[in-house]
Amino acid sequence: MNPRAPAAEPKDVAPRAPAVVPASFPPAELKATCEKILARYPTKMAALLPILHEAQAFGGGWVSPELEAGVAAYLDLSPAHVHGVLTFYSMYNTKPAGRHELWVCRTLSCWRRGAPELRAKALDKAGCTRTGEVGEDGRFLVKDMECLGLCEQAPAIWLDGVAHANVTPEGLEQLMDGCE
Amino acid sequence: MAAKTPKRYPETKVLSRNFDVDKAWTFDVARQRGAYRSLEKALGSMTPDQVIDEVKTSRLRGRGGAGFPTGVKWSFVPKQTDKTKYICLNADESEPGTFKDRYLMELDPHLVIEGCLITAYAVGASMVYIYVRGEYPLSIERLWGAIEEARKEGFVGKKIAGRDFHCDVVVHSGAGAYICGEETALLESLEGKRGHPRIKPPFPAVEGAFASPTVINNVETLAHVPWIIENGGAAFAKQGIPPDPADPRSVGSSGTKLMGVSGDVQKPGVWEFEFGITLRQMIEDYAGGALEGRTIKAVIPGGLSMPVLTGDELDVKMGFDDLKAAGSGLGTACAIVMDDTCDMVQACENIAHFFADESCGQCTPCREGCHWMEKIFHRFDAGQGTRSDLDLLENLFRQIEGRTICALADAAVWPLRSIVRKFRHEFVAKMSPDEQRAEAEARSARQPAGVK
Amino acid sequence: MSASSSPEPVVTINGTAYPYEPGDTVIRVAHRHGIDVPHYCYHPSMSPAGNCRICMVEVVGSPRPQIACKMACFPGLSVNTDSDLAHEARADTMQMLLVNHPLDCPICDQAGECHLQDYSYQLGSGRAVTSTPKTKLPKNQPFGEQIVYDAERCIKCTLCVRFCEEITDTNELSMGQRSDHEQVIMTSAGEFTTRYSMNIVDLCPVGALTSRDFRFRSRLWFMDFVPSVCTGCARGCNVTVGARMGKVLRLEPRENQDVNQWWMCDAGRLGYKHANSATRLGVPAVRDASGAWREATFEQAIQAASAALAEHRHEERPGHVLLDGGATLEEMWVARQLAAALGGEARFAAHVGDDGDEFLVVNEKGANARGAEALGLARVKNAADAGAAVLVIERDEHVPADLRAASGAVVAFVTDASHVPDSVRVAFPFGSFAERDGWLVNVGGRVQRLLGTGEAGPSAVQPFQAVAQEILLDLDAGHDVLDDAALETRLRAAPGLADLVWPPASREPAEVSS
Repeated sequence: MNPRAPAAEPKDVAPRAPAVVPASFPPAELKATCEKILARYPTKMAALLPILHEAQAFGGGWVSPELEAGVAAYLDLSPAHVHGVLTFYSMYNTKPAGRHELWVCRTLSCWRRGAPELRAKALDKAGCTRTGEVGEDGRFLVKDMECLGLCEQAPAIWLDGVAHANVTPEGLEQLMDGCE
Repeated sequence: MAAKTPKRYPETKVLSRNFDVDKAWTFDVARQRGAYRSLEKALGSMTPDQVIDEVKTSRLRGRGGAGFPTGVKWSFVPKQTDKTKYICLNADESEPGTFKDRYLMELDPHLVIEGCLITAYAVGASMVYIYVRGEYPLSIERLWGAIEEARKEGFVGKKIAGRDFHCDVVVHSGAGAYICGEETALLESLEGKRGHPRIKPPFPAVEGAFASPTVINNVETLAHVPWIIENGGAAFAKQGIPPDPADPRSVGSSGTKLMGVSGDVQKPGVWEFEFGITLRQMIEDYAGGALEGRTIKAVIPGGLSMPVLTGDELDVKMGFDDLKAAGSGLGTACAIVMDDTCDMVQACENIAHFFADESCGQCTPCREGCHWMEKIFHRFDAGQGTRSDLDLLENLFRQIEGRTICALADAAVWPLRSIVRKFRHEFVAKMSPDEQRAEAEARSARQPAGVK
Repeated sequence: MSASSSPEPVVTINGTAYPYEPGDTVIRVAHRHGIDVPHYCYHPSMSPAGNCRICMVEVVGSPRPQIACKMACFPGLSVNTDSDLAHEARADTMQMLLVNHPLDCPICDQAGECHLQDYSYQLGSGRAVTSTPKTKLPKNQPFGEQIVYDAERCIKCTLCVRFCEEITDTNELSMGQRSDHEQVIMTSAGEFTTRYSMNIVDLCPVGALTSRDFRFRSRLWFMDFVPSVCTGCARGCNVTVGARMGKVLRLEPRENQDVNQWWMCDAGRLGYKHANSATRLGVPAVRDASGAWREATFEQAIQAASAALAEHRHEERPGHVLLDGGATLEEMWVARQLAAALGGEARFAAHVGDDGDEFLVVNEKGANARGAEALGLARVKNAADAGAAVLVIERDEHVPADLRAASGAVVAFVTDASHVPDSVRVAFPFGSFAERDGWLVNVGGRVQRLLGTGEAGPSAVQPFQAVAQEILLDLDAGHDVLDDAALETRLRAAPGLADLVWPPASREPAEVSS
């Protein structure tokens, strides 16, 4: 038996909390986490990526301009630098990201094992014409992602931060139906 | 199911020795199975230089793709410096088709941490950053869990194992960028910037993270270190493919390697072998061979960034030098298989899209060239390609390779060029009838002269 | 010199050995010796980015070309900037740069001074090799008040980003997105706070960053350009003035390592508007008996001015001359003689701001205030001291309305007709900084040449020094008329001026091209 890396079990997914605009960054609930992150690095700038992850989770799956400015001020960085970093990495969203975020891997191994069918199914169910957009009902943001590192379990998708492997179009349909 | 075939080459479980053990990611199970013994040995009975020498003796080569001798890399770190030295563990496993480091981090995180700590001791570092790609949340969770357990048990932090050695370990999550697997882009990203590779020199060993001396190694590379310390470099060097005696510069491919197969095979997965198994043995005996009723057309032996081998070229040993001699490369040793139903023009479009998407945008040839290639492949797929487009592609390969700060552009060119050359007929088949006729005439005109 | 000292290290470029200093890169040594190495992302003031890949040279013994901007010199290094490999590498890069470039030169303001155009002519094939659709990117993006960004024209050299990071340390810009969607960004939350923002327009090697002030106003090849200095403050940043058909259209900084390096401030750059005023005085004017203004020839006006001043002298009030602090040394010298003939003295007035910084802008706004002081001219600070027979005014802020009104002057030399106070009976047109030739002394005591262009301002404006000496002749037959060359000889030897830092070369003929 080849060992299987765990964590591919579908589980109930709760819709995200609506976006909150904090008066200042970090909001009270993130203060301790942010301070812990800052303590790990010799520079404030180095805390930017982990703090943006926190800000995005807090902001309902995307980093609003207000959050972005808050992070910049908190870390003594220019807003332009923070925006440049945000738009460089594919896991950050700078636009409202829907209640659920679905990634479909498009790279070679998944592509060979059925990713195009998953992508079509995902777009259809989400009511989008293109990836990178949120469907009209505001339920799903579907994103094309490059290799998710689940190639031995291709095709793979991510739904709200949880990996699902060996996904069939029917399985995907079920998963998406389970989302509010 | 395919018939059970006898395996022609055995597995050797060194790194993967705990993969099948339940809860090996917890401290108690790992410790019982020997975790941190090598660290205790190194701290207790070896000088840092002895550790480096042992790794040099092992001829361990980097497992991230480039295959640079690990002990040599460590010896570039200056001994005398006032600066904090860093270890950056490259766990940004973004190479397509590659998932071996995920297994190590999810199933045996203490082995990974122990390897980092021994390395830190060897080069005098007091801080380890494990840069894990953001798409591996379980790896991140397991590593953090292991760090906190190890801290409680006295193996992370101050006075490690009761000795005068202090080192902290931090997991840093990436955010989705292939380029951050390039070591200097990783450093930029760690520092909170866009992942733009730096121009070398200065090399990271001298000026790396936070402008301080830094060792950057792949997860699997450092996971080998505890075994080497426990059993000696010579024992490690005995495994695998020895150096070519005829070539004084040859390092060989010593030790074991996690190797994987994905794509069009029955049973994709990851296994550990001594270097020397052939690509065919691995695909047929372990990955179950081609899917029912299909044949293998092409294989990229290591990730996405190496030239393809055709189905007839699979009897090559998995080793740094052997694959290079076969016109490809070991890369990450995780093969991607494409079978006879795969349209190679579309495969090129898919591959080019990946590199175009993941180019950091810094250097002109890569930023503009990768997308240009993708657009040309798209045109072929739409039936609008011409013979001059193939010449243009060859020209672009030449213009892109070796003209940029980092190797991403080279990595884009290698698989694409090999496919265009080895599967030219598939490109021609998608051309207009006139173009096809011209190609046939050119071929027959060439044939008698014996050119290609 | 001891013969035993170790020989200076040398690097070989195109077969010739050149000495280099520690830390030198190949491109620095090459440029220092006049060897052309094309470049986009390289700028001598900033850290090398190494991303444009146009400066590639052949390294002897290496099959791959290397970038000259980041290649450190070492003993034994031999490179070729002119070999087939170097040419091929650059031509390849040009092809890559142009594949997504909109090629909209006919509507691009950079046309004529675009490095992409220049190198395209030099290195490109002039033939398109592909017809793939071009990448679409944002156009017409405002970067602050003054700058417009076009991401499609942009070649992502990052000079503008590095300028804001390394020169002004204000960090307004960053690169955004990645791969072929990479572009320069300025966030909505950010503002272009640096007062040096427009330097990025000059830095931009292509037409991606254009100045709102200049864009679409003129083709460069229709304009006349002269090397001059900015008169916006006493720093005296070296500039190139561009003008066409009576209007100043653009000021751009000109490199001078001792004054402004490569830069100038936005206020100085845009401080030319008064030269294009709709109320410029173009011809002399004399009040008739009823007090109404009528146009006059210079001859008539000089006669009228002499008469008015003679009357003034007859009243035995001191006949001071009050000059704009941006007047040239020549003008001040002659003004002093005129004042002496009128029994008074030459004085000057200039605005003093409070916005000086540690970079270029200084509080003293009188471009020649230091020269005026060196000539011994007293500074008029308030209306009570402003009494004068003659006014010489270019900028309103130096001699503001209250001083003008309090002067009681009868003759005025003004750039703008609206600056003539009621007491004046004869008004002469006075050229703006873009029309006059002469010497200015900057805040650091450096004497610099102000050079005019015939393309700016009203035509046929006579220089102040010529007109004033004519008046002097009328007033005092014993006076020698000095031309500018003779004036310069006297200025260079004058007490207070002789010790200043003068350019070595003597006055050359103005480099005004037609």
